[in-house]
Amino acid sequence: MTAPAIETRELHKSYGDVQALDGLDLTVDRGEFFGLLGPNGAGKTTFINTLVGLVKKDSGTAEVFGFDVEDDYREARDRIGLAPQEFNVDRFFPIIEVLEHKAGYHGIGSDEARRRAEDALKTVGIWEKRDTRFDWLSGGMKRRFVLARALVSDPDLLILDEPTAGVDVQLRHDLWDIINRMNDEGTTILLTTHYIEEAERLCDRVAIMDSGRKVEVAAPDELMARGTDTIDIGLADPPRSAPGLDVEGVTEVAVTDDGLSVTAAGGSQTAPALMRALERQGHTVTSLDIRRASLEEVFVNLTRDDREFAEVSA
Amino acid sequence: MNENTIQFATLVRREILRFVRRPYNTFLPPIITNTLYFSVFGVILGSRIGEIAGVSYLQFVLPGLVVLGAISDSFENASFTIFHGRWNDYIQAVLTSPMSNRSMVTAYVSASALRGIVTSLLIVGVGLVFTPVPLANPLYLVAFLLVITTLFGGLGVIGGLWASDFDYLTVMNQFILRPLVFFGAVFYSLDVLPPLWRNVSLLNPMVYMVNGVRYGMIGVTEIDPNTSLAVLTGVTVVVLAIDFVLFRRGYGLAE
Repeated sequence: MTAPAIETRELHKSYGDVQALDGLDLTVDRGEFFGLLGPNGAGKTTFINTLVGLVKKDSGTAEVFGFDVEDDYREARDRIGLAPQEFNVDRFFPIIEVLEHKAGYHGIGSDEARRRAEDALKTVGIWEKRDTRFDWLSGGMKRRFVLARALVSDPDLLILDEPTAGVDVQLRHDLWDIINRMNDEGTTILLTTHYIEEAERLCDRVAIMDSGRKVEVAAPDELMARGTDTIDIGLADPPRSAPGLDVEGVTEVAVTDDGLSVTAAGGSQTAPALMRALERQGHTVTSLDIRRASLEEVFVNLTRDDREFAEVSA
Repeated sequence: MNENTIQFATLVRREILRFVRRPYNTFLPPIITNTLYFSVFGVILGSRIGEIAGVSYLQFVLPGLVVLGAISDSFENASFTIFHGRWNDYIQAVLTSPMSNRSMVTAYVSASALRGIVTSLLIVGVGLVFTPVPLANPLYLVAFLLVITTLFGGLGVIGGLWASDFDYLTVMNQFILRPLVFFGAVFYSLDVLPPLWRNVSLLNPMVYMVNGVRYGMIGVTEIDPNTSLAVLTGVTVVVLAIDFVLFRRGYGLAE
């Protein structure tokens, strides 16, 4: 059986009293575009750094393409390209040499390393800056360079920790295009982001993490389907108080200036029954607008629920 | 070349380029400092001191200055490159690569030893301006220089992993290494010391290094060079073993 790109079981890591990873179980399949969402301090970066050897786990197992990240660290790391959130670039050398060195650390000979470094700089669009040192690049170029460095070893698993933090819209779209192309060519992508829209747009599946644990894993659409939609109903004769509506899925009914605002799970499925119920009560529906739950709302609800659960348990 | 060799060669090359491209920080200071040493201690004071162990004072102090330069620079190179890489996090590019821990340590130590040897040659070059430089036992000279620069490259790795601020590097180099070398019979012969201080001096490992290099250059030593070489080689092996263990455990490198 082919091993998944990432597989962790009961992964624990603590810093004193702080439990950064609290029994994390996670599987990322090969070729998948996988998102990791979570509030600050959820353990996302600790998890990533465990995979690449910058954090030593306390217990549990972590494997990359079937290779243990500590026992078989050379095989595991050879398959990973990492673009970290914080800039950690060698300031002594022009950026093309930094890329050549990175390729060399992966065992790539000098001619091939040069070719890959040139390709990577062209791919991210900063070829003309090849002889510049990192410190002299603009903020956006620095982000591009960090991605180029992750690409230069032609990794099977590309890990991107907040790759679009603080970049403008144009660059964000450029980076999305590059990452998507990599994924289309078979590279597994692990992306952490605070931009929910980014995860919604790019990822096959997302894991929501909080307090070092996995709260939920699903496709963005599935997660959104679990949220509650809002149905705005215009009525010819808006009532003074909310009518009783015995319709499955409806969780809340509120009166608005021109009708009702109904909160319901699965808005599209609930709407027809809702309209029939209102007409039975003698109302005339003049308009209908369904607003789907966003991934952001689901994310907030899930992480809030998890924190409330943790507080109750404590 | 196989992958392991390419990885090792890349890191060594990176380390060498770092110090070769910054000669004002790396090679010019020992040239200036030693020119001053030779001018003051050798020419001005040395002419009044006369011969020691059958050679001029300038020739007598030259091996000690070579040792001082070699160990300072090999230690400084390894400790700085590792600490600076940690401080700015760019050492992570190496740490997250598939290089073996052993290969990383060997590369850092090799490049640092090379820098120490280049500094030694520069100091000998400066010495040649002032006096003929004898070469009594070249094999011993080469062996001692290789061992002590490797030893201090290895110690520099430990220092670079241990340091949590730039102050630590200054403390190690200026307050520990330099006094040990100065009291390591660089500028004087052990014979001029009272018996008590002579015996105390023998506890200073630098005495053995200075005497070893002095034996290689002028053929004079107060301590058996073979014993010195064997002990220093043993200590070097132990220090390198500690380096490997520290890298494997991620000391100062991983959380």
